[in-house]
Amino acid sequence: MPYRGGSGYVARSSSSGLYDVLELILDKGLVIDVFVRVSLIGIEILTIDARIVIASVDTYLRFAEAVNRLDLMATETSGLPELMEGITEGGASSKTKGMLQGAKEALFGDEEEDEEEKEPSRKRSSTTTTRRRSRSGSKSSKKRSKSQS
Amino acid sequence: MAESSEKRAKYVYGVIRAGESPGAKAVGIDDEPLGLVTMDDLAALTTDVAEEFSVAGRDELLAHMRVLEEAMGWASAVLPMRFGVILPDADAVRAELLAPHREQLEELLEEMEGKVEVNLKGIHEEETVLREVLAENPEAAGLREAIQGKPEAATYYERIRLGELVSQGLEGKREETGPAIVERLSPFAVGIQLGDVVHERMALNASFLVERKELERFDAEVERWAEEQGGRVRVKYTGPLPPHSFVELEVGA
Repeated sequence: MPYRGGSGYVARSSSSGLYDVLELILDKGLVIDVFVRVSLIGIEILTIDARIVIASVDTYLRFAEAVNRLDLMATETSGLPELMEGITEGGASSKTKGMLQGAKEALFGDEEEDEEEKEPSRKRSSTTTTRRRSRSGSKSSKKRSKSQS
Repeated sequence: MAESSEKRAKYVYGVIRAGESPGAKAVGIDDEPLGLVTMDDLAALTTDVAEEFSVAGRDELLAHMRVLEEAMGWASAVLPMRFGVILPDADAVRAELLAPHREQLEELLEEMEGKVEVNLKGIHEEETVLREVLAENPEAAGLREAIQGKPEAATYYERIRLGELVSQGLEGKREETGPAIVERLSPFAVGIQLGDVVHERMALNASFLVERKELERFDAEVERWAEEQGGRVRVKYTGPLPPHSFVELEVGA
């Protein structure tokens, strides 16, 4: 992923990155519904698992654990501004990792795994995620059945 | 696809103005040459594919994107098709796509000339945003303290309540950050489309339609805003792209 731009706070990619534009080319653009007839294979590419939260016990426990793992001593000794500096100094590569990387990995089927989910004790349950987009293949077939008239 | 014997169906990448050409060497899906199906002032950018062509994967997605991206370089305006549109032959491209939507397509071409799409995603840095939530919510901070070091089973309900407070706090953060950046950037864009926010820490998923000549100022404002956030929000900038989010045909038109 090319990383350019002045401050280093913004990660950029051109349209050559598949993941970043996937939602656009699958969902947006001109379409005459009845003629979208390509089904996509390699469904793991196209399963976008969204982690928008549904209020559930599982979700809450996960959040509780996330804040419990915070080392608040760091805040108390150095204060927030310095802390943020520390995070920025982590450098470009650390900023491009994390959630988006997680989303990308999800696109390619490695489970939607974020840093906070690496611990084996925390199992996701399906109630904590909404599947916002299912396979595009089935989507296209839905389109197909929609009549244009 | 090996069955190259009968390739007369047309895969359509987008619509451009007639008279503009990709050049003889340009290729699309399966390295097949790019072609044009024209009708008066309009042209569809196409590749011949087998009639049975119905299954696509990563290569085809990438080819679709690449063709459109390249077209932004040589065409005065490009209206991108959604991935996966195939018509039975060139006549069908005219009869089903160009002819019935002619006026709309011409208007859109006019409208999109000199404009590009930029997609921005803004994600709260986890640790920072959780600290903010705790700092702003005394009840949550207190609960966190109360359950430190105690066995999980003994603090089940406290942890649920804590998580609920954190969840609400994150929602508040999302609702604050997203609109803030949209407001800052809207003077530099001629169109904005909000996409789905697909993660609990995602504050923004938006596409901006930006005049090419304004792009530099738009970019500078993105940088400025991100810098002001001091790393609490990661911004992912994708573009310039063809205006996927800003072209739509009215159904049944």
